[in-house]
Amino acid sequence: MKIKNIIITFVSAIAILFSTSVVSFAKVVGDKIILGAAISLTGKYSSNGVHTQNGYNMAVDRINSMGGVKVGGKTYKFDIIYYDDESNPKRAAQLAERLISQDGVEFMLGPYSSGLTKAIAPVTEKYGVPMVEANGASRSLFTKGYKYLFAVLAPANLYLDVAIRTAVELNGGKGVRIAQAFEQDAFSQDVRLGILDAAKETGSEIIIDDKLPKELNDMAATLVKVKQMKPDVLVVSGHTKGALTAIRQIAEMKVDVPMLAMTHCDAAKLSKQHGKNSQYALCASQWHKTLTYKDDFFKDGMTYAADFDKEFGYDPPYQSAESSAALLVFKDAFERANSFDQKKVRDALAATNMQTFYGNIKFAPGGQNVDKPMVLFQVMCDGAGKCENKVVAPLKWASAELIHPIPKWSDR
Amino acid sequence: MNKNVLLYAVIIIFGLAAPFVFPAFKVQLSILCVLIVLATTWNIQGGEMGYNTFGNILFYGLGMYLCASVQVGMFFPLAEWTESGGEKTFVHTPTQFFQGMAAGLVVAAVVPTIVAGLIGYAILGLRGHYFAICTLGLGVAAGEISGGIEIIGAGQGFTTPPFPNVGGLEARGEFFYFLSFGALVLTFIAVRAIYSTRFRLILNAIRDNEDKAEAMGIETMKYKIIGWMVSAFFCGLAGGIMGGLVGYIDSTDVAFDGREMGVFMVLMAILGGKGTLWGPVIGATAFHIFKEGFWTFFLGWQYVALGVLIVVIVIYFPEGIMGWLREKYPERFGEVVDEADRKAQVELK
Repeated sequence: MKIKNIIITFVSAIAILFSTSVVSFAKVVGDKIILGAAISLTGKYSSNGVHTQNGYNMAVDRINSMGGVKVGGKTYKFDIIYYDDESNPKRAAQLAERLISQDGVEFMLGPYSSGLTKAIAPVTEKYGVPMVEANGASRSLFTKGYKYLFAVLAPANLYLDVAIRTAVELNGGKGVRIAQAFEQDAFSQDVRLGILDAAKETGSEIIIDDKLPKELNDMAATLVKVKQMKPDVLVVSGHTKGALTAIRQIAEMKVDVPMLAMTHCDAAKLSKQHGKNSQYALCASQWHKTLTYKDDFFKDGMTYAADFDKEFGYDPPYQSAESSAALLVFKDAFERANSFDQKKVRDALAATNMQTFYGNIKFAPGGQNVDKPMVLFQVMCDGAGKCENKVVAPLKWASAELIHPIPKWSDR
Repeated sequence: MNKNVLLYAVIIIFGLAAPFVFPAFKVQLSILCVLIVLATTWNIQGGEMGYNTFGNILFYGLGMYLCASVQVGMFFPLAEWTESGGEKTFVHTPTQFFQGMAAGLVVAAVVPTIVAGLIGYAILGLRGHYFAICTLGLGVAAGEISGGIEIIGAGQGFTTPPFPNVGGLEARGEFFYFLSFGALVLTFIAVRAIYSTRFRLILNAIRDNEDKAEAMGIETMKYKIIGWMVSAFFCGLAGGIMGGLVGYIDSTDVAFDGREMGVFMVLMAILGGKGTLWGPVIGATAFHIFKEGFWTFFLGWQYVALGVLIVVIVIYFPEGIMGWLREKYPERFGEVVDEADRKAQVELK
């Protein structure tokens, strides 16, 4: 049975392959601080994954060109090792393991989406690797007692809370009738929980509560129900595809609803892609360029947006802004810790209290950012059909007044 | 026989030593073990029996959810664990964790076996493309249904119990590696034992001509169901281990991941050579190495590279690696080739 010889050869070949493919990077090589990140470059989150990556790269370039990070009297530059997690939690967990144990990365940046962050957090926690993440908003991430997880964004359940409260306020304080449809993923389901809480507190009634599949490209069934039952508010959340599908089909089916609240409008470039059809959509956002926060690196939101546009050719969605902010947080923490000891950096991160162009950043013990409120913007178009996102709530930041109720399709 | 013993000894020693020799690759090695289990069990249907199933992912996902649910449910209220995407966290003591895992794995293996028996009874009457399409639906349906069941986390996913704080940093990786390696050894022994009996011949008879087999008095249905139950047992076990290893179960992306795992198990078996004992093992290993390699060196193009690999396999190795070897070195497979006769045939052409 010579075949056995072949198998033995094969097994040893694998052994050799494995042993030679160990390429080890250290956390800090020469003057470089190497961060690791698993990003969705392919799969259903690929567009947001790219927004995230662009945000990271933008900040790395900016920080490096403006003097880098000063630790122990020496100047270091950021560098990031990327892997593609294919929008798959299983892959993401595996990659986190790989970044840490094979590539020797000692500091991590977060992936895109709550589900993937949920898969990565146990790994970074186990190894005591500090992770600053910018795109995992699910509330349950912050109740697990993770010590090495820091999120620069507000938790998902707060995303559309304001929208419901605004609708109730405009309804004279009486509860409203809500129709909602959410993608079956960790983030959108968390947004849903936020709506359920808000509805309970305001005495609102949920009349449609649909789940949408993950590969979302049709929600006509929900919209037919909306047409029949005429709710006061329609809430849709399902990442970029959810926003695009909702606008496309609402316009096609001419669904009239007084308030349409969504997430991910800017990531989906709604106002550009759908123009007037997306008019009046109300969107939850972690950030908007017109907010007046400031920092030394990007100056303010408007400058960031202009620089980002020059570099990547589109208006930055909040996913990019928050990702850039994650790097600023890391830089700040390294300098305050004045060390690359993971524990010291972790403690420095926990003590973060700073303002960036993206907003104030201060972490609660659970790791979420408690110092930055969500904003709501509304897509508004001028007569020529040029559409723009304008902040309408909270009032402190508002650059336009909320248009409510949305005019009927027949009157547009 | 001596050579056999030597070979198995080498593999076992390699398997036992691997996590210490390549400590950084423990997770990849664990996944490799799971992949081999999946490919080997798929081969029972796809290779030996000629029933191309895409439904084995159902058992894998079922095992994953069951194992985690039992592990949590034995000690804490499951509904509270998964509520709001796992807001509440209970901490397993090491004893609870391992007891739960053990019980979970038993359930993860047994329940899918029963399910396979029931579903098999219903659908194994279908043949060819009809069976393939029907099983394709099973995995998709299971993913959508599980995504709506609140007690297992629904769309929010299910965070499996974190590994308890025992034995340092490497303990988790080593535990899951040996668990998956154990499952692999168990699967291989079981499948090898089955293949050395009349059972394999019956499965082959079904593949070659089911009507004839039936005409010869073989109760084909019974054997088809038993074959599927065997696969389900090990798929469920593999799923249970994988759930703990990944740490987070998502209905369509991790558990009922028909698009990836479901297709990969077929690919691996075909790459290695279906209908052979070693084919799926070699196929899974080669596939995993290629995939990891593409992932590192062709970032962003890994699926293109994988696609090219599949095309190459189909064109140049339609019978898989084992089939190709067999054609090239028939004598090594115990086939006697009459050289003169072979030459005569070549000349005739």
